Amino acid sequence: MKPIILLIEDDPRIRRFLRASLVTQGYELIEAGTGREGLALAASRVPEVVLLDLGLPDMEGLEVIKQLRSWSEVPIIILSARGQERDKVANLDAGADDYLTKPFGMGELLARIRVALRRAAPAEEDKQEAFYSLGPIRVDVERRLVFRGPEEVHLTPIEYKLLSVLLKHRGKVVTHRQLLKEVWGPSYVEQNPYLRIFILNLRRKLEDDPARPQYLLTEPGVGYRLREA
Amino acid sequence: MPGPASGAPPRPQEEPKRAGSENLLVCLDPSPFSIPLIRATQRIADAQQAKWFAMYVETPSHDRLPRENQEQVAQALYLAAKLGAQAIKVSGFRIGDEILAFARENQVSKIFVGKPYARRWRRFLGLSLVDHLIWNCGPIDIFVISGEGEEALPVPPGPKPRLRLKEYLVAAGGVGVCTGLAFILFPYLALTNLAMIYLLTVVIISSFLARGPALFSSLFSVAAFAFFFVPAYYSFAVANTEYSITLLVMLLVSLLVSGLTARIRHQARVARTQERQTAALFGMSQNLTAMNSLEELLQIAVEQITRIFDCRVTMLMPGREDKLGIRAGQPFVDDDVREGMVAKWVFKHGHLAGAGTGTLSAVKGIYLPLIASQHVIGVLRLETHQPERILAADSLRLLEALGSQVGLAIERENLSRQAQAARLQIDAEQMRNTLLSSVSHDLRTPLTVIAGSASSLLEGEKNLDADTKHELAQSIYEEARRLDRLVYNLLEMSRLQSGEVKLNKEWNVLEEVIGSALTQLDPQLHDHPVSIALPADLPLVQVDALLMERVIINLLENSMKYTPSGTPLKISGRVQDKEIFMTVADRGPGLPVGQEERIFEKFYQVAPGSARGAGLGLTICRSIIEAHGGRIRAANRPEGGAVFSFTIPLAEGAPILDKHLPEMQKNHRDEADHPAD
Repeated sequence: MKPIILLIEDDPRIRRFLRASLVTQGYELIEAGTGREGLALAASRVPEVVLLDLGLPDMEGLEVIKQLRSWSEVPIIILSARGQERDKVANLDAGADDYLTKPFGMGELLARIRVALRRAAPAEEDKQEAFYSLGPIRVDVERRLVFRGPEEVHLTPIEYKLLSVLLKHRGKVVTHRQLLKEVWGPSYVEQNPYLRIFILNLRRKLEDDPARPQYLLTEPGVGYRLREA
Repeated sequence: MPGPASGAPPRPQEEPKRAGSENLLVCLDPSPFSIPLIRATQRIADAQQAKWFAMYVETPSHDRLPRENQEQVAQALYLAAKLGAQAIKVSGFRIGDEILAFARENQVSKIFVGKPYARRWRRFLGLSLVDHLIWNCGPIDIFVISGEGEEALPVPPGPKPRLRLKEYLVAAGGVGVCTGLAFILFPYLALTNLAMIYLLTVVIISSFLARGPALFSSLFSVAAFAFFFVPAYYSFAVANTEYSITLLVMLLVSLLVSGLTARIRHQARVARTQERQTAALFGMSQNLTAMNSLEELLQIAVEQITRIFDCRVTMLMPGREDKLGIRAGQPFVDDDVREGMVAKWVFKHGHLAGAGTGTLSAVKGIYLPLIASQHVIGVLRLETHQPERILAADSLRLLEALGSQVGLAIERENLSRQAQAARLQIDAEQMRNTLLSSVSHDLRTPLTVIAGSASSLLEGEKNLDADTKHELAQSIYEEARRLDRLVYNLLEMSRLQSGEVKLNKEWNVLEEVIGSALTQLDPQLHDHPVSIALPADLPLVQVDALLMERVIINLLENSMKYTPSGTPLKISGRVQDKEIFMTVADRGPGLPVGQEERIFEKFYQVAPGSARGAGLGLTICRSIIEAHGGRIRAANRPEGGAVFSFTIPLAEGAPILDKHLPEMQKNHRDEADHPAD
């Protein structure tokens, strides 16, 4: 069965180009022009992924996310304009899974959808992988060991925790707040500078050129993303 | 007494008549008859369409007039101005000469004077003003107007005789002392030398006392001299004719001396007052020109006037809906609604009123209109326990001068603000034009590529090989990206310029900011190897990461645009004098010499029309860096290529790099012991 993608977007031109591409890629696309319509379709058709535009005519994107999250765990990918970093963060913290900034390429969108579908698949969720590999970086989850090429990399416990949280969400953006909360705990969610310092250290240990990271990517103004494989 | 100026129902202000060829002049004096005189002159002037002047000559005796009469002069001048005359006040000694001099200078053809009221003996001696005018007027016609038949006027109480008894006594005493001295010296001195002692006494007395006592002293001393020392002694009879000449000369000399001394004293006093006024006005004008905001200006003006007049000063100016409100100075209790009403009246009529004046005097404040070149723009309120101190002729004149200076300063400030607004408007207009011409070009190029490539794909679907199709699709994608950046820069520019952008400053790692910028530019950077030289312990900086990233992106994009592909770019940074000093250097052709500053200007392009961008990238960089309190500049490298450098101030309290935080570590261990998933 084809995975169902629900697109909530009021602009027909954007709907048209997404329809053309996504259907070709083997997805079934259902479309809604308003937030209300979208929520109704999400309930009746139970999509695997929701693509949500932030500039809907009838309701705030944040409101759609909150209502949807009240009864569904479906992955939500936000489509937003540039310069709305604060909105993006608020939406991500409210339960959205990822975002794309308009204009975006199809490659990026398909990658996001793939990540979302994988996360949504319950069978894979449960299965803890024993090994992860990202280019030259390998992580032995059971033994809590990290290798870069043939050499073992010594991470402090907190660096390892940070890496493992990013691995858990690999391919997906993780906001500063989410990372701080998952690594340090709820009372540290405002400590962005410390997070930055730890990310810097982690990059220095894992990346070839820490100033031009290939795996541990910065999402400007939002958070971090571990490149998917 | 409620109501407007006595006997002067407000009339709409008329422009002085200029059509007629004749100029009329009405001479005012400190009597209530001035008002009918003005009215009569106005009627004639109106009938003849003539321009007319109302003139008052302020003689030394003006200060000795009772307040009512002084006020009458002010009222008369005000009325004349309101009825369309040019009101003039000059100071001088001889009223007639001043009037005639003015009349000749201003081509006055008719002079109107009131019916003479000079004392009979003066009239007999031909000393009345009318006689003087008639004898000396030359071709000018003199009209004498009688006040009879005019509307009834509230005649103020006549001049009160002001006996300066004390001064007369002092004068008499002085002459007495002199006489005693003369008795002692009588055996040793000739008669003429004794007369000299008396003259000296007269000079001394008249240099300290008023004109009356001075005259008295000269007469008294001549009498005493004649009585005691001129034979026959102890009688006014003169034994020798020669002595009568001595006495006559002595009398004349002493009268002249006392008159001259009084005049010199008056002149000295006038000079002193003028000096004080000039100093005050100069101080005010100096202070006012240094101001650059209206609020500051009003504040300084109020302080200055408070200091000069030692009273409570308030500046009232019309606000919204032309309602007068306090703009500067001391608030006053306006529980008395009349205060506000008087202020409004003064604002409307442009005439002094309030406590101590003849108009609306039942309030505590003195209200002076602030008159700019066109109209009344505000009201100055002064409150003191002795309004008469301020309303005395000299200080009132100073106050009026200060008021008009303040009025003009306010107007100048308003005009300069209007000019500024106009300039901004022109700037905005110019910016819009440049924007349109620049943007339309820069938008059209990518759009042409996109439309052309897309239509090629559509038309030649079957004929095109896969590589060409890919190439076309690729250029559509790249041009669309370019358009996106252009639009983003435009929006960012206008946001930055409008001050809409609020810096979201956080402690950031520069390496990460640079890395993020490089990741975004990755697809374009393949032609330019970028090297980065940053010390590992570069401290964290308080910046808006997104904006700082924009600076790096724009600088790199700029360098890529203007350097041949394959040439390297280098980003480096170091700490220098409590700042981080960052550079982006290239190996391209460098900047045109002399353009190092201009390239940061809006829409500036080194090679116009080269379709390389809208000329906004560097301007945005400068806005962002300056908003962070840093500096940005461009220069040519001695070894070739251009270098852009900017600074970021280091803030206090930066989190320290390479040091783990104990409490976080501890927390981590806690969490590690009880993994929360």
